Amino acid sequence: MLKGMVLAWVLVWMWALVQGIVFQLRAPEKAFASMVSWFAPMPVVYVALHLFTPADLGFLPERFVGGAGALSLLNGVALLILLFLTGVLFYYHADRSITVRLLIEMARSPQQRMTLDQMQAVCGVEVLMHDRLRTMAMNGFLEERDGRYHLARKGRLGGLAGMLARRVLAMKAL
Amino acid sequence: MKGVTLAAAAFLLLVLGSALALRVYRGNKEFKVFLAAFAGAVLGYAAAFPLTPSDLGFLPAGWLEPSAPVDFANGLLILALVFHGFWCFAYFACLSPSMGVMVELRARGARGISAAEALATQGREEPVNLIFQRRLPKLVAGGYISHDGGTYRLLPPGERVAALGAFLKRLINADTPLVGSRPC
Repeated sequence: MLKGMVLAWVLVWMWALVQGIVFQLRAPEKAFASMVSWFAPMPVVYVALHLFTPADLGFLPERFVGGAGALSLLNGVALLILLFLTGVLFYYHADRSITVRLLIEMARSPQQRMTLDQMQAVCGVEVLMHDRLRTMAMNGFLEERDGRYHLARKGRLGGLAGMLARRVLAMKAL
Repeated sequence: MKGVTLAAAAFLLLVLGSALALRVYRGNKEFKVFLAAFAGAVLGYAAAFPLTPSDLGFLPAGWLEPSAPVDFANGLLILALVFHGFWCFAYFACLSPSMGVMVELRARGARGISAAEALATQGREEPVNLIFQRRLPKLVAGGYISHDGGTYRLLPPGERVAALGAFLKRLINADTPLVGSRPC
């Protein structure tokens, strides 16, 4: 099983490196689609490496080698996908965090001071909502008709997941 | 597979425990509830692993990992990754303005929502937007910013977080060189 775990780690770091270069070359409008498309070959590479490399990968201690090959393969695929999803979440933490964004704006403001009005002007609900509505429409969650937004198919699924999560988890907006 | 199976059981208990705890929790630091549930799940997993048979009484022989440390570490890693995903999903689903719009639209049906109505759901008309009502008191209480009269000032811990955030944004090429040039 360790072989699959090691391969998954190596491949996810390879993907992160490639993705970092892709983002540096051209910041994509559709970040998630870009991440999925650059990650897509990795499971195939993983399966090929798992099938055609020795069980100890040439360096794993003997006591950690053994067990069912198919199980190691499947476990590694699952791990690879989980690590990829964690990488995607890392991207969104860095890109979308409102709190971090606010602190960055404060750090760049004169004397690192801002009034509430200034904060709301650069990072407030109007700026944020305009961006989020545009992004959701661009990514197929919303459709804009006659100046009003409606749920698209993906948005209906998202809204259902959100509604259920809000019922189950009962987190407060304040 | 023993590790993965125990991790799955621990995660289910974690979800149940955090859902129940959030119903009785009165504060606004929900992350503490999630972290406590995760700590409980890890402790339960670590305690159950050495106390249970390697096949858990039902796993087929072909599904067993011969190395117990590898099996344990694999289960723990998967538990941590799945928990992280759950934690992010919970915050996104319950607090994100984007999800708020989708949930609102489900309730509205065919009427849809205008940009102005979407803004109203986030307290635009209030003196302090909903997104700031939640965040500013926490930033002040955490020592990241101070509030003197009508001005908020960045403190050294906030400066460090801002520097780290700016570095991460540069890493993914989502940096903003000028105030207000890109929405949050």
